[in-house]
Amino acid sequence: MGTTLWQRTWRNVARNKAMYVMVIPGLLYLLVNNYLPMLGLVIAFKNVDFAKGIWHSDWIGFKNFEYLFKTSDAWLITRNTLGYNAVFIVVNFAFSIAIAIFLNEITSKFFSRFYQSVLLLPYLISMIIVSYLVFALLSQDTGMMNHTILPLFGIKEISWYNEPVYWPFILVIVNLWKNAGFLCVVFLAAIIGIDKEYYEAATLDGASKWKQIRLITIPLISPVIVMMLLLFIGRIFYADFGLFFQVPMESGPIMNATNVIDTYVYRGLMQIGDIGMSAAAGCYQSIVGFVLVLLSNYVVRKINKDQALF
Amino acid sequence: MNKFKRHVSGLSLVLALLMVLTACGGGSKGGEEASGTQASGGESANSGDTPEIVMPFFVLNGIPEDMQAVNDEINKITKEKIGATVKLMPISYGTYGQQTNLMLTGNEQVDLMVVGTWFNYTTQVAKNQLLPLDDLLAQYGQDIVKTLGDNYISAGKVKGKTYGVATMRDLADMYGLVIPKDVLDKYQIKTEDIKTFDDVGNLLATIKKNEPDSTPLVPFGPGDSLLDNYMTYDNLGDKLGVLPGDATDLKVVDWFEQPEYADLLNKIRSWYEAGYIMKDAATNRDSGLELMKAGRGDVLLTRIKPGYAEQESRLIGKPVVTIPLTQPQARTSSVANMMWGIPRNAKYPDKAMQMLNLMFTDKDVANLLAWGIEGKHYVVKSDGVAGYPDGVDQNNSKYNLNQGWMFGNQFLTYVWEGDSPDLWKQLQAFNDSAVPSKVLGFTFDQTPVKTEVAAVQNVLNQYKMALEWGTVDPAKVLPEFRKKLKDAGIDKIIAEKQKQLDEWAASK
Repeated sequence: MGTTLWQRTWRNVARNKAMYVMVIPGLLYLLVNNYLPMLGLVIAFKNVDFAKGIWHSDWIGFKNFEYLFKTSDAWLITRNTLGYNAVFIVVNFAFSIAIAIFLNEITSKFFSRFYQSVLLLPYLISMIIVSYLVFALLSQDTGMMNHTILPLFGIKEISWYNEPVYWPFILVIVNLWKNAGFLCVVFLAAIIGIDKEYYEAATLDGASKWKQIRLITIPLISPVIVMMLLLFIGRIFYADFGLFFQVPMESGPIMNATNVIDTYVYRGLMQIGDIGMSAAAGCYQSIVGFVLVLLSNYVVRKINKDQALF
Repeated sequence: MNKFKRHVSGLSLVLALLMVLTACGGGSKGGEEASGTQASGGESANSGDTPEIVMPFFVLNGIPEDMQAVNDEINKITKEKIGATVKLMPISYGTYGQQTNLMLTGNEQVDLMVVGTWFNYTTQVAKNQLLPLDDLLAQYGQDIVKTLGDNYISAGKVKGKTYGVATMRDLADMYGLVIPKDVLDKYQIKTEDIKTFDDVGNLLATIKKNEPDSTPLVPFGPGDSLLDNYMTYDNLGDKLGVLPGDATDLKVVDWFEQPEYADLLNKIRSWYEAGYIMKDAATNRDSGLELMKAGRGDVLLTRIKPGYAEQESRLIGKPVVTIPLTQPQARTSSVANMMWGIPRNAKYPDKAMQMLNLMFTDKDVANLLAWGIEGKHYVVKSDGVAGYPDGVDQNNSKYNLNQGWMFGNQFLTYVWEGDSPDLWKQLQAFNDSAVPSKVLGFTFDQTPVKTEVAAVQNVLNQYKMALEWGTVDPAKVLPEFRKKLKDAGIDKIIAEKQKQLDEWAASK
């Protein structure tokens, strides 16, 4: 059977020579750019010694990974990373799909473009600037919340950067404000692609706006939603470093609510600068991400085969 | 099933290709090196076969426009004196660590570079990225040893071998107070009246009483706690296990467990509660000098040295004075934070050491690096100090590096206008008067306990700033902090440090 498979493959190649030749540049690019660097993962299992070179350094097994699990914070940073990202996905998707649908209903071209641009703008702002915008709101000495908004409601000033309870909300809001615009544009593009005849037919049949959204728009853009979802799930174990490092301003008392894997690794290795340990962190994150993508794709395939990525 | 098979065959094709490429990658390493040599060989052929020393260092205020012109002038001297040219490679401070790391791991030619505990010195040594310098120093660097003296040379040693050489600059640490002169005059406080932390508290109380809306104490800079530089002990590199200043034996102790630490925290907390300290101090992102300039406060506590007051006065725009709270002390950490080293990638280690020696002995080279070209970037004034030529100032100067402390012997350069003409004498006296730590020359290698260090660093990040600015109540938070340090494994780090310290003491 092996030979028949081989023969069949060979015949396939022979028949589609031209196609296969065309694939080569792309494949080479993928190999050089995406697969070759993966060999660097061996660094995670070595005690790198530059006199010996990377390939001849000593193997040390999983010792480089230890610091990720041995600490008392291991549970905390894992929970925060996964928890925040899960909430981000749910909230961001819900909001941006809703906004995309609303935007599609705006008939004035000018306003539709205007709102899109306004929504997209935060996505283009650097996190460092975002962190100062948040600081301008929350600073204790000069912040707008404490000095203008809270007094209006007669609430006493709050020491934002010292109270961990507020931070899950602050981070979710900041993330939504920053990223919803981008997702919204993606979904809007999908909605615009839907054939208008569906809606016309539905209107003739007397379907309400709500029914049109529920029964036409959402089912028709669901492939895009699922694809974006799978892409986001693949990165669920990577935290947005800028958001979690810059926005909380390195404030210690709130760190139980703001420390995630990426910031933990950064703070831990700032002083040692060990490439083996940082490679270990990256390796761990990508393996978890990979497994989660496979799993969720499997689940999607069980439910609806056409919408799975692979 | 068919589909699955197709996938498998495709995958095995990719794997096979991958293996072929890997083999190529492994083999091409030698080729890469050969071509590298060729390229630089071609370059040196242009300049008449003189070796070129590649020399990266960091710059704090942007790369000067005339760097190349200065480089050319230096080459005229080095060609004649050591038979080599240098390629100065300025890199901005923020990216220096990362960029040099890439150069070292990427096997690029680097002959002489700034190293130090600011840039993971001990890791570089542990990973064998730097060459031991002892033989080179004995052969080509005698003037360096003579200038620095054995004590300060020893600070760059790891396990008995020298991997880094400090520059001749202010090599000791002193902690003190920076305050505008008019504030002292206003409340008729004499500098001699302030000697301890309690005196500082009284000063702050006086200011607060007269200006109830002010918060007199401002942080020195982002990420700096009030106690970062206040050391009555030797921090042994990283503060994770310290040697008390009054210790008679070499017993490493946990600073965060000391009663003195708790007392200091309580004091700071009382200052914070009394409103002496800026409320956002722990999360501050501004330079203390900017805050002072903007009138946000009057007092800051930091490392001081002779000439510091003049320097800060120029920046703030009104005269300030410095008042020491500790004796000048020489520790490994104050010397080893910035040194020069020769990496394993060096193509001309001999020439690199000769160049370093030249920076320690040649007045012209030292001045070129510090101030630029005479007549163009600076002129020597009548009293032997340097200043800007006519029509040139701080803003339009094309060489305003101002980092004389970084290259060899700073005391060979001219003193800048506005500083006391005998500044170098004062600094020399400051260095000489410094009390050398009993363990000067001991460098802790963190690699055996790196797992614990990573965990402890996170605990420090979580608690240190808030505690050491008084933002949180030490009565409640200090026990939590101590417990988390224990959980993270600080005792293991201290035990390892003790072991290394004992070995070091035995080998002396």
